[in-house]
Amino acid sequence: MATVAGHPETPLIEPVDRGEGLGHSIVRALSHAPLTILLAFIGVMWLVPTLGLFFTSLLPASVISSEGWWTIFSTPSNATLENYRNIFSDEAITSALLTTVWISIGSTILPIIVAALAAYAFAWMDFPGRDWLFIGVIAMIVVPIQMALIPIFSLYDRVHLFDTLAGLILFHTAFGLPLAIFLLRNFFVGIPGELLEAARIDGASEIRIFTRLILPLSWPAIASLAIFQFLWTWNDLIVALSLARSTQPITVAIFTQLRQFGANIEIIAPAAFLSLTIPLVVFFAFQRYFVQGLLAGSVK
Amino acid sequence: MTDSSITAEPPNQGAPPTADEAGADPGRRRRFLVALGFLAPALVFLGVWIVYPTVYTVVRSFYDRSGDAFVGLDNYGTLFTTDILLTAIRNNAIWVLVVPAVVTAIGLVFGVLTERIRWSVAFKTAVFMPMAISMFAAGVIWHIMYTQDPSQGTINAAVRVVSDAVNPPGVLSGAAPSGDDLRGSAAQGYRLQGELKAGEVAHLGLTRIPASEVKDGVQAVVPATVEGGITGVVWRDFKPGGGGTAGEVEDGEVGIPGVTLRLTDASGAEVATATSGADGVFTFPDVGDASYRLGIASETFRESYGGVSWLGPRLITPAIIIAYIWVWAGFAMVVIAAGLAAIPRDVLEAARTDGATEWQVFRRVTAPLLAPVLSVVFITMIINVLKVFDIVLSVAPPSVQDDANVIALAMWRTSFGGVNDFGLGSAIAVFLFLLVIPVLLLNVRRFRREA
Amino acid sequence: MSRTVWIIIGVVVAVAVVVGIVVVATDGGEISESGAGQPSPVATDVSGTVSVMAVWSGDEQASFQAVIDGFNELYPNVNVEYTGAGDQLPTVLSTAVQGGSPPSVAAVAQPGLMRDFVNQGVLKPLDFASDVINENYSPSTIEVGTVDDTLYGLLFKGANKSTVWYNVPAFEDAGVTPPTTWDELLQGAETLNASGVKAYSIGGADGWTLTDLFENIYLRTAGPDLYDQLTAHDIPWTDDSVTTALEAMAQVLGDTGNIAGGTSGALQTDFPKSVSQVFSDPPAAAMVFEGDFVQGEILNSTDAEPETGFNQFAFPAINDSPPSVVGGGDMIIAFDDDPATQAFVQYLATPEASEIWASRGGFSSPNTKVDTSVYPDSIAQATAEALANAEVFRFDMSDLAPSAFGGTVGQGEWKILQDFLQDPSDVQGTQRALERAAAQAYGQ
Repeated sequence: MATVAGHPETPLIEPVDRGEGLGHSIVRALSHAPLTILLAFIGVMWLVPTLGLFFTSLLPASVISSEGWWTIFSTPSNATLENYRNIFSDEAITSALLTTVWISIGSTILPIIVAALAAYAFAWMDFPGRDWLFIGVIAMIVVPIQMALIPIFSLYDRVHLFDTLAGLILFHTAFGLPLAIFLLRNFFVGIPGELLEAARIDGASEIRIFTRLILPLSWPAIASLAIFQFLWTWNDLIVALSLARSTQPITVAIFTQLRQFGANIEIIAPAAFLSLTIPLVVFFAFQRYFVQGLLAGSVK
Repeated sequence: MTDSSITAEPPNQGAPPTADEAGADPGRRRRFLVALGFLAPALVFLGVWIVYPTVYTVVRSFYDRSGDAFVGLDNYGTLFTTDILLTAIRNNAIWVLVVPAVVTAIGLVFGVLTERIRWSVAFKTAVFMPMAISMFAAGVIWHIMYTQDPSQGTINAAVRVVSDAVNPPGVLSGAAPSGDDLRGSAAQGYRLQGELKAGEVAHLGLTRIPASEVKDGVQAVVPATVEGGITGVVWRDFKPGGGGTAGEVEDGEVGIPGVTLRLTDASGAEVATATSGADGVFTFPDVGDASYRLGIASETFRESYGGVSWLGPRLITPAIIIAYIWVWAGFAMVVIAAGLAAIPRDVLEAARTDGATEWQVFRRVTAPLLAPVLSVVFITMIINVLKVFDIVLSVAPPSVQDDANVIALAMWRTSFGGVNDFGLGSAIAVFLFLLVIPVLLLNVRRFRREA
Repeated sequence: MSRTVWIIIGVVVAVAVVVGIVVVATDGGEISESGAGQPSPVATDVSGTVSVMAVWSGDEQASFQAVIDGFNELYPNVNVEYTGAGDQLPTVLSTAVQGGSPPSVAAVAQPGLMRDFVNQGVLKPLDFASDVINENYSPSTIEVGTVDDTLYGLLFKGANKSTVWYNVPAFEDAGVTPPTTWDELLQGAETLNASGVKAYSIGGADGWTLTDLFENIYLRTAGPDLYDQLTAHDIPWTDDSVTTALEAMAQVLGDTGNIAGGTSGALQTDFPKSVSQVFSDPPAAAMVFEGDFVQGEILNSTDAEPETGFNQFAFPAINDSPPSVVGGGDMIIAFDDDPATQAFVQYLATPEASEIWASRGGFSSPNTKVDTSVYPDSIAQATAEALANAEVFRFDMSDLAPSAFGGTVGQGEWKILQDFLQDPSDVQGTQRALERAAAQAYGQ
């Protein structure tokens, strides 16, 4: 077995086999062939829709209006970067990309700070009504975002937060909080109590324990949460559509290209593809953190 | 109520004294203030952006569209009597019944299978990637997948490749007879009304043939009779401008080459076939004395595969659900795979050494240990599905948004999308909130059990 | 214990109250930096900011920006901020108004929406621009923007919806010439079908293409007076005149063998596709009923050339009806009347402003003083002249109706006419459904 599978990680599959002959492991490898082919097929199928968008974004409008994206493989290929050139010279789109970056960064950092503070109190401080309050926070996880749009709209207008970056960031922060508090609290609870107790006996203030002990220990959970929060705000459509006008993130910029009198696919396809590249980069860079935070508390 | 009844208390030895013990503690007040300090920013956010709007919306749902008149429960009455909203509720029920179960099942299958392959990271990456894509971009993506025209829609194009290989389209798809003497249909083929005998000449005039298909056409010719045989002509019986006489070969009307003609006898059995030439002329030599029928087989008229209308009213909800599963399956897979990885190997091994089969190991050991993870995925999906909104908005074409409607979309369309009835919209929002409360209680119970 | 719960709740409430106080304290009341209502003399030293919101995106946005640039040559100190909202405009604008923060100026395609805003009391009358508007626009155009004898809207960008666009080679192959009467149209359609190309391309996935077709037929079969009455819902949709029009419409929609993709295909075809499939190779159909904006779509998404590849003819007359135009377009409405906004609206009413956009294409001006030679090609010039010179001009009926009836995806007239496309034999049932929906939407 070990001679065939060069990776030290894989023998875990069925350790019972260990020590059996080479012939047997070849038989096993062959019996895995259908599985490998099946999964390869599924994996490719899963990529096709995204690739379809990518290839569509490379075709001129006159081609897309009558043919599918696979004509890009015809020879000579009719692929062109013209659509992307137009997108990048379109100030509305480029400034929307920048706006989205600011919104996403702000809406990622702020809720994590606020949530971590609260989660620490919920996990390691004792005060009356704590559990009821925490249950209230859990309840807020399910409040639909649409519920807040109209009241917050009129509120924003009075305090001049309408159509501002701050207004959008604050909104995303609030709606990101319940889940963030829930997950971080569950993670914090798992930190050994002796560490905190020792620090308290040494006379460390709560804020010091929080910044010097809890935060460094919780980096994986915070990272995973940050990725999710980043993706959510990056991909938001409805909040920005309702609470901003000229402060347009990329989703809104694309959405407002939709006109009944025109298909505009030569703008929508490249812009949509562009809009998903940055979350993809973030995702690939941090994917190993993705699950840890979510599982904190549910799997022990 | 004391903390001991719902201990969210972490299992540590050195916990601070509980609230009741601290009753007389002068430090209690200070600790309370410190805790409040940590909580205050979050409470402000939650109070202003979530609690206040929720209360506002509940109150608003009892007022009419302008917000001036109190209407009691009228909006809720409308909610349950309007067809569009009932469709939304029914669709949401389908979503809740199908999606969490399917997504969890797919996640489980993928999670288990990827444990057995070396390149699982590549596979997981491919399946998880859609999670990073906005629902809006997913809508654009699936439009490209679902377009009905097989020359544009990915899925229908793939089906057409297979379909046209099995049933190749005919040379004259779309053509129809120009006169009454050719009877039948494109599906069954066309046959001349009268019987034919040797020495006769058949006229098979066809119309609705694009000019581009007969670009290099040759003037059709009425052939001379042939002793002992049947002759005839197949031609495009159309004169520009619509003039001319149907059934008559006229100047400028071209023959259709390559049409297969079938001669049958009285019993319907095929006697002979012939193929038309460039001028449309065909000949059956030496047919003998009997009477025959002459026709053109249906294969000649078979149309190319037309595509399934995925985005039509009937299939729209399943179509969007597939797109949604495409997005979320990766989430379920990754979470479940992490859960699987956390199961201690020695437990599995012990079971195997005891002679349990793989299926027994899975059922008796893996599944129970995995249950909490599965329930996380399942409950997360229920919450997501109840609130599903933007993917429906962006995948469903305007004409079928009624058929694809879900509660969150109905709420948005009622409030903002032209109706502008904030009263009814608020009522729908409250209704949606009521629906998620059971899930919420489930969540709370789990929290209390764990704590 | 419960006491402490109340303490927590109290804290939350207190926070909410504090926020509320802040809100109230910063609420400066009505924003009134401009002496509201005071007609101020327009001069080039006007300064300020004008925010504009409209549906225009892409090329249209670039063209409107050119108009803004023209304005800034005269008024360098006015800053015009444009926001495009696409088809979400009614939504975004309604939300903005509901929240009390509308833009200075908006361009809306639905007079019904304008009427809603008038009723809410948020629109400013365009009295300050009435001189220049009366001078440049025809009474029927001005009428569209008038509510209760007060002018609120300026039809800046017109649309001639009484045009039919056809594939020139397909017509030539079939030997069909552009029809001038309904019977010629039906006759020509039959000939086209026999020649091997379906006659009609119907964009049935978008309900508004069907309402446009109905309105063109109705204006010709029933005449302008009944058209106005039906628009106001003074006569019911079960009226005989509607029966006649729907029966004429069924002559097209019921000819299912002559529609690209048949009935189910038509229901799946959105507007852009309904245009592009007429000018693809080979064409899926020979002609498409829609307005002058079809030209932009043809040029954008197909390789067809003007006159040799595509052309248009006026919607044919029915029973000797006079040249009639169903029009649509984007109307300028003002939520402010400060000097900068006044100057901007007045500028938009001038022929110069319209000529800037007209020369760039994709624009039909209802402004009668516009020099039609500025249009970029003869086709655009023809449709624009037909719009400006129509004997009978009526605004798109569905855009005048309450939006729940005439302008909402998936309901009202849009949806019912899609059902009619599905089953064109059920004229009576369609009328009853229309009447039910109209009665509800008009609040009767």
